[in-house]
Amino acid sequence: MTGRSVWLRLATFISCVLISCLGSSRPSVAQTVAQRGFVEARGAFFPQDTSNDSQNTVVDLLAREEAFVLPTSWIQFAAAIDARANSHGHVESSWHLDFRDRGRLRPALSVRRLSSTLTHGPMTLDLGKQFIRWGKTDIVTPTDRFAPRDFIDVFAGEFLAVTAVRLTLQARDETFEAVWVPFFTPSRMPLFNQRWTAVPPSETALALIDGQAPFPERAQAGVRWAHAGNGYEYALSYFDGFNHLPDIVVRPRADALELEIERSYPALRMLGGDAALPTRWFTAKGEAAYFATSTPGADEYVLYVLQLERQTGEWLIGGGYAGEVVTRRGTSVNFAPDRGLTRSVTGHASYAIDPSRSVAFECAIRQSGAGVYAKGEYSWTTGQHWRTTLFAVLLGGRAEDFLGQYQRNSHLGLSLRYSF
Amino acid sequence: MSSRQPPVMPAAARRLSTCVCLLFACSLSRLSSVAVDAADNVRQIVEEAQRRTDATSQRYEGLLQVLDSKGKLADKRWTLERLGAHGDSKMVLRFTAPAEVKGVALLVVNHPDRASDQWMWTPAIERDRRIALQDRSTRFFGTDFSFEDLEERDVDQYDYALAGEEVVDGVMCWRIQSTPKQTKSSQYTRALVWVRKDTYAFTRIENYIKTQAVRRLTYSDFQNVQGIWTARRLEMADLRRGSRTALTLEKLQYNLPMKTEDFTLQALRRP
Repeated sequence: MTGRSVWLRLATFISCVLISCLGSSRPSVAQTVAQRGFVEARGAFFPQDTSNDSQNTVVDLLAREEAFVLPTSWIQFAAAIDARANSHGHVESSWHLDFRDRGRLRPALSVRRLSSTLTHGPMTLDLGKQFIRWGKTDIVTPTDRFAPRDFIDVFAGEFLAVTAVRLTLQARDETFEAVWVPFFTPSRMPLFNQRWTAVPPSETALALIDGQAPFPERAQAGVRWAHAGNGYEYALSYFDGFNHLPDIVVRPRADALELEIERSYPALRMLGGDAALPTRWFTAKGEAAYFATSTPGADEYVLYVLQLERQTGEWLIGGGYAGEVVTRRGTSVNFAPDRGLTRSVTGHASYAIDPSRSVAFECAIRQSGAGVYAKGEYSWTTGQHWRTTLFAVLLGGRAEDFLGQYQRNSHLGLSLRYSF
Repeated sequence: MSSRQPPVMPAAARRLSTCVCLLFACSLSRLSSVAVDAADNVRQIVEEAQRRTDATSQRYEGLLQVLDSKGKLADKRWTLERLGAHGDSKMVLRFTAPAEVKGVALLVVNHPDRASDQWMWTPAIERDRRIALQDRSTRFFGTDFSFEDLEERDVDQYDYALAGEEVVDGVMCWRIQSTPKQTKSSQYTRALVWVRKDTYAFTRIENYIKTQAVRRLTYSDFQNVQGIWTARRLEMADLRRGSRTALTLEKLQYNLPMKTEDFTLQALRRP
């Protein structure tokens, strides 16, 4: 029996148990069943064309339903499903139920989460497709290694779940976590024929073709030890696996009018740490990680973030610096939004105008001045279910910079969400 | 050359002076002892109030109605579970409505000798965030309760003085001034607490920053639930903003079996 079939069987088993639990739940045990969900329409208007994309309006539809069942006090099941549609070809046309999130397009129908959680005393065991978030800083989070993202729209990327076994032990102020991921979930890259893949105007005559993407076969693993002290916290983490962001090899095809883009995912070992220390005036947060690789041609580097944060009145304000030190420069070209946002000053702020209205802002400005990203949004609720959000994203800079390459992708948008 | 000599006190005058000093010292000591007694008595009132609300656990479903200064009303709901009582307790609060905040949760670990530890879980980003001490004066999720107001008061965290007696809602109450001890680390300089004489239940707390009253918590709709006199309705008024939040306790139960492991960061992730 192959590894894949074992996991598919396990997923099927969990699904069956979950469905049977949901099916047998009665109103009298309503406290053991919880659900949440929403339907959202999101439209973005791009005033400028790019060399490879003249579509100025993109509309997304997303419906999400999450259900949680606690048949007994020591076990819990969680399941979530997404249904999507898009006006600009971001979503697969087939309606098969996707579990592994490995496609170039977003699946029309996908299992977002499917997991069981067993608890016994200080031990928690999570099995299945789940979200695992490490680290403390915002915008750039170097130690967050089990959190691939959907970068079809680079600056609106949602996190993708990973299929994992996660064991957590908590003893007083110490938390020890071990994670094992049997199969790899990549981050989803921008589509090659659209505006989030920046193509120099001189090369627009060449078609970009998606080449091979051999996914790593080996499992990934990580451990994290966290200490929550009297008012401060710190954690150390180690990861051995693969970068969920690809290295890219571009190969001209024989007819010379097409370029084949081949993705590969370099091996990665990470040793990192994060800490939060409240002081009288603000909370200082820091995170740093060293990345080593055995893959020839891949970079080795250190990412670090220093950030100050303060919540006062209705304001939450934070700012800091994200840095990068390359310790060994490889030859590979990579798609790396995490590194692309480093060597930058970052900031975020939000303000609650009243219980139903808020504004938020975030930005990253490259220290060289070669790139800038800023996003502002104004959001308000109507009644108990509706939320409307107006947003604007500003991108600028020079074409050779990660942020600057998206200089023609500034946009305005509106999203309307009905939560239930 | 003249030297100034201290005036010589006659013996009788010296005796009188000694006597006055002794009397003064004696009265000072008595006054001080009365003050200590009074402080002890006030503390005993608060201790008794605390003793009468002791429970091994508590669970309720709360309906929050937030009324801003312009009269706009927003409803929220949460469930609250608490293990232990007062300074030695843990609490998990989970929002159940409106739909978009379902699953947002707060873990509060109360300590008898210092401010609590608090973490908030936001399911939309699958992350928890520790609420730093200096951020505790912030309003909690658009309500008029601050993060600090969600902590449980413990008798040992304050010094007390009787500030008078007053009838509140037709019931005679002690009016007690409580001042947080240095280890408590509070946004408030002091608070006035009204304690009912008939049941020892808190009926009003008025919190001050320096001399300004900033928040007033009013308790009403008292019911005896499993032997504990409990206010089923609490109203927190933000006196600076002119807004208020009413919290109605539904399905309230005490002394339910609960497990320590349900009050951890891992448990916070579970809905």
